[in-house]
Amino acid sequence: MSTKSREAPLLPVSDARESALFFVVCALCFLAAMAALSARATYGAAADWTSEVEGEITVRLIDVDSRSARDAERIVANMEGVESARLIDRDEAADLLAPWFGRDGLPASLPLPVLIEVRTAPNSGRIGPDIERVLTEAGLSARVDDHADWAGDVRRSLGTIRLVALGAVALLAATAIAVIAFATHAALLARRDIVDVLHLSGAEDRFIANLFERRFWILGLQAGSVGALAALGGVALMLFSANSATPERAWLLPQLSLDLWDLIILILSPIVAGFAARMAARITVVRSLADTV
Amino acid sequence: MTRHIRPDIFDAPSVRFDQVSLRYDTSDEVLSDLNIELKQGSFTFLTGASGAGKTSLLKLIYLAMRPSTGDVYLFGQNTSTLKRKQLSALRRRIGIVFQEFRLLEHLTAYENAALPLRVIGRNEKDYREDVEELLRWVGLGERLHAKPATLSGGEQQRVAIARALVGKPDLLIADEPTGNVDPDMGMRLMRLFWELSQRLGASVLIATHDLSLVRKLDAPVLRLQHGLLVQDAEHGLAS
Repeated sequence: MSTKSREAPLLPVSDARESALFFVVCALCFLAAMAALSARATYGAAADWTSEVEGEITVRLIDVDSRSARDAERIVANMEGVESARLIDRDEAADLLAPWFGRDGLPASLPLPVLIEVRTAPNSGRIGPDIERVLTEAGLSARVDDHADWAGDVRRSLGTIRLVALGAVALLAATAIAVIAFATHAALLARRDIVDVLHLSGAEDRFIANLFERRFWILGLQAGSVGALAALGGVALMLFSANSATPERAWLLPQLSLDLWDLIILILSPIVAGFAARMAARITVVRSLADTV
Repeated sequence: MTRHIRPDIFDAPSVRFDQVSLRYDTSDEVLSDLNIELKQGSFTFLTGASGAGKTSLLKLIYLAMRPSTGDVYLFGQNTSTLKRKQLSALRRRIGIVFQEFRLLEHLTAYENAALPLRVIGRNEKDYREDVEELLRWVGLGERLHAKPATLSGGEQQRVAIARALVGKPDLLIADEPTGNVDPDMGMRLMRLFWELSQRLGASVLIATHDLSLVRKLDAPVLRLQHGLLVQDAEHGLAS
């Protein structure tokens, strides 16, 4: 009677405790991936929005007829630092108000502001006050709305949100490490008999630690993969939901996407989870063995 | 390849206790002021009533514990001055048969017996035949793939003995090794242990309360009573 050549693992196959740990790591990885993706989406949306509005200025003319409006458009268009200036007509203004009044719901008697949409040249600085001054000198009454003011506020707010999201990712990672360290310690106590026999058979600390490291590396990798896949499913669901929205109302929803960087985050999540699990197991086992002779 | 051996270590006794005492936490001493020397290739019995300190003494030898006072020397090296890696290397030279066997429940008889070779990184192909032969010798040739839970007490003990012998140790420690085997197997095991000490030069220390077994073999006896050595291997009754 001969033995099979394949060696059985020195640690028994996973037990109920590891199933619970699998679930916890899976959930933490899902939350961490979602937090990371949200942070990126927030940052991306903010960057898109601010880059779009930063070069825009809206000039509102007060009490002007159409001729004066055309004069104002020409004056602004000829100013230094202005790339283009365009008078927004009544139909276009009606389009902007369509979400509130509907396509044909705008009353004819409703006074609409006369607006000039101005695009500034890159690196032109803040020319809003100059536009207002030049129009005033030309005998026109105008209020200038420089979008850069808004963009700055939005950027600051979104920067804070991004920091909070990154903090959440860090906190979730730390929680995962702590949970794994606790689970490793429990596993070590439960497997104390095996550890003792290996230890007394001459196994070095490194050898014993490797057994636990491998076990928890694989657990972290598998649980992390399931968590990352769940996060991918969650994002896909949100994308589907956003894309299914009525176009008129879609702009109200957060601008979600799934690009290469998002996929990299999802691929890295289980690797980070596995690595964290492995390091937590290693430190716990080596510390625990240091208490023995 | 030239092998350099330091003469002091080469000639040193396998085990030497120098005024060794042991106490657990704040309890009274379980071993008191022991001076013991086991020469290389010696065969020695360790006897004493339950609670006399036999297992504690063995634990000090197989490096599961450190003495509270005094020094334990193994193969000429003071174990209290060695680093962890060096202690691991020393443990590989010791075969242990635990009283409660300590087999790994999820491994087969073969895998349990091969454990000391596996932990030092030996390739299974190189040791498979030896381990199987050893298990056949202890009468377990047909139970190689059996898990401990399916083995009788005697069979488990034989697996434990195979595990202790598989690494060809320089020092074999057995705690009540005949407790679960029939008298014939008990004598076979004793003859094996005897051969190990005579032919291979390994020191053997057997803790037992089976005085009939002790009488059958003309071997020195260490007798413990309440943690004190009342009879030593070389000089008969202690003063």
